[in-house]
Amino acid sequence: MGVKESSKKKFRRAVMWSALTLIILLIFLSIYGAFIGAEQTRNLVNSLPLSVYWLAWALVLITALAAFRRLARVPRLLLMHGGCVFILAGSMWGSDAGHKLQEQLLGIDKIRTGRMAIYEGQSKNLVALENNQQAKLPFSVKLTDFRIEYYKPVYLRVQTREGRSWKIPVEIGSDFSLGPDFGTVTIIRAFENFKITIEGGIVYDDPEPGYNPALEVQIKHADGAVRTQYAFERSPGHIHPEDKFVLRYQRIISDYISELEVIKNNKVVAKKNIEVNHPLHFGGYHFYQHSYDAEAGQYTILEVVSDSGLNLVYAGYLMLCVGVFWHLWLRHIFTGIKLKSE
Amino acid sequence: MEIKYTVQGLLIYAAMSVYLLAFVMSLLRRRKVGHVLYLFGFIIAVLAFGYRWYDVRHTPLQNLFEVFLCLGMICYPVSFFCRRILQVGGRCADMLIGAIVLFPAGFIFSAEPQQLPPALQSWLFVPHVAVYMLSYIFMAKATFQALTQFAGKSYDGDEKLLPPEEATYRTICAGFPLLTLGLVLGSWWGKLAWGDYWGWDPKELWSLASWLVYVGYFHFRYMFGKKHARINSTWVIAGMAAILITLLWANLSRLFSGLHSYAT
Ligand code: HEM
Repeated sequence: MGVKESSKKKFRRAVMWSALTLIILLIFLSIYGAFIGAEQTRNLVNSLPLSVYWLAWALVLITALAAFRRLARVPRLLLMHGGCVFILAGSMWGSDAGHKLQEQLLGIDKIRTGRMAIYEGQSKNLVALENNQQAKLPFSVKLTDFRIEYYKPVYLRVQTREGRSWKIPVEIGSDFSLGPDFGTVTIIRAFENFKITIEGGIVYDDPEPGYNPALEVQIKHADGAVRTQYAFERSPGHIHPEDKFVLRYQRIISDYISELEVIKNNKVVAKKNIEVNHPLHFGGYHFYQHSYDAEAGQYTILEVVSDSGLNLVYAGYLMLCVGVFWHLWLRHIFTGIKLKSE
Repeated sequence: MEIKYTVQGLLIYAAMSVYLLAFVMSLLRRRKVGHVLYLFGFIIAVLAFGYRWYDVRHTPLQNLFEVFLCLGMICYPVSFFCRRILQVGGRCADMLIGAIVLFPAGFIFSAEPQQLPPALQSWLFVPHVAVYMLSYIFMAKATFQALTQFAGKSYDGDEKLLPPEEATYRTICAGFPLLTLGLVLGSWWGKLAWGDYWGWDPKELWSLASWLVYVGYFHFRYMFGKKHARINSTWVIAGMAAILITLLWANLSRLFSGLHSYAT
């Protein structure tokens, strides 16, 4: 009995030392990863030697659940440690290797991650993968509209050549005084896509694809002279030698919105306006607002990410949090209340 | 260095000065006066935070200025909770911690209000940052206890309070669930905003490292108890070092450019 007891003790000690070693290794791996950057760290943690390391984590955790009775019997300890197993399992299932495994074992052919550039009005099922190849989704995604929203008010920044500046909220038609030495500024109109004809220099808002936001500004100088100037968002624009002010049109983006429809067998099966923080979830994938056509606002770029293993990871998160709060907080609160009532 | 000649600045400097005065009074063994001043400093810090909230019209936890302002406000309630409920002392040091965390808000970071970029417009934003702030204050208090343990003395000398090694453990027990929740909420938010619950970004990695140091501490202490009290304390101090790097270095240093860099 005594020999058995001590060998059990030794085994437990070995398990704890393995756990401590794995934890310390991961601390150093994280710090190393912070130095080499996200991209390289991702490659590193998905490499073969690291797969062995992740498996070791799962193995040690599971062994511990078997070796330490309390760990498996006390629900809060089980939740904490089981949660870690779930997180590991979920992230392995969702990794590149996990996707390959899904294909080999279950015949599930799923794209792990990729991008889709979709023009307004177009529907598409092709996803561009990282290795310059393309893969097909079993349904199509249609972009009905893409738009950018801005914080109100938007601003006109006026600066003298000596560096004095004013930030004027844009209100078409109203005057803004720069003080007796500088005169008055009036914003005449706003353009989404400013163009000017070569002959005659007529300015107009071009409805054709394009993106060149601008303001037409009338400046009444202190000496009575009146001049018209243009303020652009995307470039400082052209400044004449006689212009006293440098102008800039300033808007701060509040959101990017893609209005999407999912089409399967010629039927619209889902609809969502996706924004940053609000992806579309359909058919085992999440679709994120990733980027857009900065030149003309004509297309959106979606990031497509497989949701494999995600529920496992989230379940693990929940178990971990419940276990940790229960073990370190609630348990004491309950005993405290009990003691008081006694 | 940026001195703020504004109402906001004035409130921060006032809170800092009162915290410092409370600290000096406590050192001079005028404990009652010190405590009243500490409470008074806290009220000013609440005003400073409230003023900022009113000014920017969203929960002010968006940039480092606001984060430090928040830290300067919550150290009093955490200190109160630790003393009353956990029997953990170190109030005198808390007063100093209050003044120290307000320093960057007062003198280093710009108070220029910023509009929220799309990625930060999430309901997870406030709970994620708030639980982190709370846990950081707990961990800072635990670090002070660990240092006291290292120095081999107990400053408070109060019978009702725990000795430093146990006080450290109990404070970590209070802070660790919050640290865990902060990490999990951040990961969840990352999934919604960027498409991945884990991006291996430097800031994420430093926060993971900090969390793991405390996980290591728990298991080391489970294995050896108080036998190697100094090593226990070393874990805790290392955890705080990792937290400080997470909070500051990853934001400030060009060394780690990543998704979280906008937080400066
Ligand atoms: C690597 C494998 C791991 C092993 C073998 C392991 C093993 C153990 C054991 C045996 C205990 C003592 C339980 C008791 O009170 O009887 C424990 C406690 C604990 N473990 Fe783990 N653990 C591991 C990983 C983790 C991880 C990743 C976490 C992260 C949350 C964690 C969090 C905790 C906590 C918070 C305690 C309680 C400590 C305390 O009450 O002082 N463990 N662990």
